[in-house]
Amino acid sequence: MKKHLVTMTVNGQEIDIAVAPNATLLEILRDNLGLTGVKEGCSEGVCGACTVLMNGNPVRSCLTLALEAEGAEILTIEGVAAGGELHPVQQAFIDRGAVQCGFCTPGMILSTKALLERIPHPTDEEIKTALAGNFCRCTGYAKILDAVREAAGTPESGGHDRA
Amino acid sequence: MPEEGYSLIGKSVPRIDARSKVTGEALFTADLNLPRMLVGKVLRSPFPHARILNIDTADAKALRGVHAVVTGADTAGEKWGVFRYTRDQQLLCVDKVRYVGDEVAAVAAVDEDTALEALRLIKVEYEELPAVIDCRSAMAPDAPLIHEDRPTNVNVAVKIDVGDVEAAFKESFLIREDTFAAEEDSYFMTEPYAVVANVHSDGSIEVWMPNASPHTKAKALSNALRLPLSKVNVRKITIGGAFGGRSDVFPAEFITCLLSIHSQRPVKLVYSREENSVATRMGHAMITTIKTGVDREGNVLARDIVSYLDGGAYSSTGPIATSVPFLCHEQTYRLPNVRFNGYRVYTNKPVRGMIRIHGRSFACGIDTQLDMIAEELGIDPVTIRLRNARRPGETTPTGSHVASCGLVECIERSAAQTNFVEKINNPVPNRGIGMGINSVQTGFPLGIRGGSQAFIKFHEDGGATVVSGVVDNGQGNDNMLVQIAAEELGLSMEDIRLISADTEVTPTDAGSYSMISTFGGGNAVKAAAADARSQIFEVASDMLEADPDDLVARKGKVYVKGAPAAGVSIAKVVRKALIEGRPIMGRGSFSPQVDQRREWITNPRGQLSQAFSFGATVAEVDVDPETGQVKARKVTCAQDCGFALNPLIVEGQFEGGVAMGGQGGMLGEEHRWHQGHVINPSMLEYKIPIIADMPEIAPIIVETIDPSGPYGAKEAGMSVAMSAAQAYCNAVGNALGIYFNHFPLTPERILDAITNKKPGIRTAWDIEPVRAIEPEIKSEQ
Repeated sequence: MKKHLVTMTVNGQEIDIAVAPNATLLEILRDNLGLTGVKEGCSEGVCGACTVLMNGNPVRSCLTLALEAEGAEILTIEGVAAGGELHPVQQAFIDRGAVQCGFCTPGMILSTKALLERIPHPTDEEIKTALAGNFCRCTGYAKILDAVREAAGTPESGGHDRA
Repeated sequence: MPEEGYSLIGKSVPRIDARSKVTGEALFTADLNLPRMLVGKVLRSPFPHARILNIDTADAKALRGVHAVVTGADTAGEKWGVFRYTRDQQLLCVDKVRYVGDEVAAVAAVDEDTALEALRLIKVEYEELPAVIDCRSAMAPDAPLIHEDRPTNVNVAVKIDVGDVEAAFKESFLIREDTFAAEEDSYFMTEPYAVVANVHSDGSIEVWMPNASPHTKAKALSNALRLPLSKVNVRKITIGGAFGGRSDVFPAEFITCLLSIHSQRPVKLVYSREENSVATRMGHAMITTIKTGVDREGNVLARDIVSYLDGGAYSSTGPIATSVPFLCHEQTYRLPNVRFNGYRVYTNKPVRGMIRIHGRSFACGIDTQLDMIAEELGIDPVTIRLRNARRPGETTPTGSHVASCGLVECIERSAAQTNFVEKINNPVPNRGIGMGINSVQTGFPLGIRGGSQAFIKFHEDGGATVVSGVVDNGQGNDNMLVQIAAEELGLSMEDIRLISADTEVTPTDAGSYSMISTFGGGNAVKAAAADARSQIFEVASDMLEADPDDLVARKGKVYVKGAPAAGVSIAKVVRKALIEGRPIMGRGSFSPQVDQRREWITNPRGQLSQAFSFGATVAEVDVDPETGQVKARKVTCAQDCGFALNPLIVEGQFEGGVAMGGQGGMLGEEHRWHQGHVINPSMLEYKIPIIADMPEIAPIIVETIDPSGPYGAKEAGMSVAMSAAQAYCNAVGNALGIYFNHFPLTPERILDAITNKKPGIRTAWDIEPVRAIEPEIKSEQ
């Protein structure tokens, strides 16, 4: 299959890459660029594990053709921490126990980052809408909600009740 | 507890693996990329039941870029089974296929497109056979046999009979018999199954895959591949969830190893979401008939339970899966006289394994029926549960002593916090409240596994490396091991490195299933750390001119109790020990005190597990009677986990249990079928809860300090899913005045029950009861 040259900016670096017309952004990021923080969970745009930011907006990289990324700014989880410093969303996910198995975590964090850039202090309903497309099977989402609130600076009292 | 209290244990410290997971650095199996690595793909049976007449792989082998094609003819024909008497699954089919998805052939090629093209070029001739796709038809006298070397399709029969059930029924004031059914549920861990195998020129093979026990996988692969165990090295890798669904051995790892051996190259096989659903494991569909006799006060005098479990094509963990639903419930409630007949039945469907809730029809049946009995007697659901709840110091019907038990406190606190009785007595239309109860074993020996061992070595800077066979499926086991070691050694968690779950390096462990990792692996690491600490104190006692018994280790220093300023750093002690030729090397081991004579089928009596967790969950819901939609308002879970080593992690387990067992497990999760095909194997069609579905969750940690758990800890991972399912079921029922008996409670079922609601205290549907049989089955031990 004839390949096409695509220019995109991935995690701040401009790259040229030859892609097959049927190649997904997910395949290019994982297989060609080694960005394995982009996870493939369902391959049909449902689970949200493959979420990356394209020009600041969350997209399913498994349903996005690599050709569509021409000229775009792509951010994957590998590009979120700047110079070894964690982003506040990453730190909040650690501190609030929002990470269990970790497979959904990159997508969750990127969806959250996009939300907080759009709405710095979201309501719980806005958080739930923004993360409705990111599946987590471990946490029951409670600690994820806590983490997003904390990253937004609107934490609820999340203390535990010990007998 | 030390005088100063624990420095780390009992504290909500963030997990050690969280940083690598939020940066994307953590590698899962599918992320591995080795030089010259090939892509593996599997050809699967399109029929639920068929004989394989011929497989022609010539065209596939001739395709450019194909490096290996394997079929059953390339195998030794060994059958895998968890027990010697359940060996019934060829890991690559030889003569027959038994479900849609059974493995028929596999290829390894340079890329995915070539591998898929090669699959298309394999020609398989089948002779289709009649299929059976549910328990009752599989048990019919003229049913086609799925395994021709078995006399019937009954795979497992568990029979437990304690006390005198018939006599107790005669003395009962009230007897009810009700039948409950549930469809198949599924794990849907976020990571699809994947395997990487890498053969080496010395004949050894490295394997990476999500697993709940690396040592079990290595032993099974060693047998199936006919390689010495020392040549099979299962490596550690990040694992994206298990929930019981990674415990077994699957064809995938055997096939990937075979492809690597045939091609002499590394091979990666990544399952699609559909393959993960169909060709690993799923939960059993189950029908349960429960007959219960009580006295005037609602004390259960006798219970007779019959369960039919749809097991699918192979045994998997059959004897365990058939027993555990009963065992959980003989722990929760006092049962002076009880009989259980559980039958796991072969059908031409995907293989069923252990799953977190362990049988919705069973768990929800027991608790729903208890609510029905309470209504008949005019008492409330809380009172009848308190009257029947297990107390500490008691013995279960099959003979397990219960050392610690906070069930009464769990029931009382969850009821008090939710104003349960007040709400039951003052009903609001279409609003409901319900309670469910759980009890879970902290591991059992299975008949095939032992305890856990750990080693600890020290470094010259005073840091330590912990070596343990415990595997982390995502629940936080790695963090648990490090938190315990740091506490015992007086180090910070950053001072500890962990090597775990690698069969070449780490000692054996029981495996991270049946809730034993903290109890078993945690105790082993605690013992190893205590051993290392006593060696440190021996050396330090010379340096400090003090009795070793008077020393403490804290914040990287050893000092005489009460005099931290005069201490010596652990680093200095370690270096002195090295110079003196007595390096610090901790060894620890823990095997639960259980009755090793106990066997699932032939001898189901004796101490099953050393400790048991208990809990009560309350769900509050609103039901829309026009649409059948349920909105969960709040879920309160009080759980006796012994002692919360890390409350943040423990709460996360409770919350995950509410989502999987209650919100998903009771309101929507089920597989649907068409002639043996799963019609909803994907995440699009099988509905797991999303964040917007979830209610507020109020966790209540109840601590009973078990005498043998590490720091008193038991388990926290599985239990809440079970009681959450019951609580949701009873809450929806309470909202509508209906006792549901077919799960999950989808909007369709709820509407059907509303439309056909009948007066009286009765179940929503008349399901034909299941009865005890005397099957002829193969069960020599």
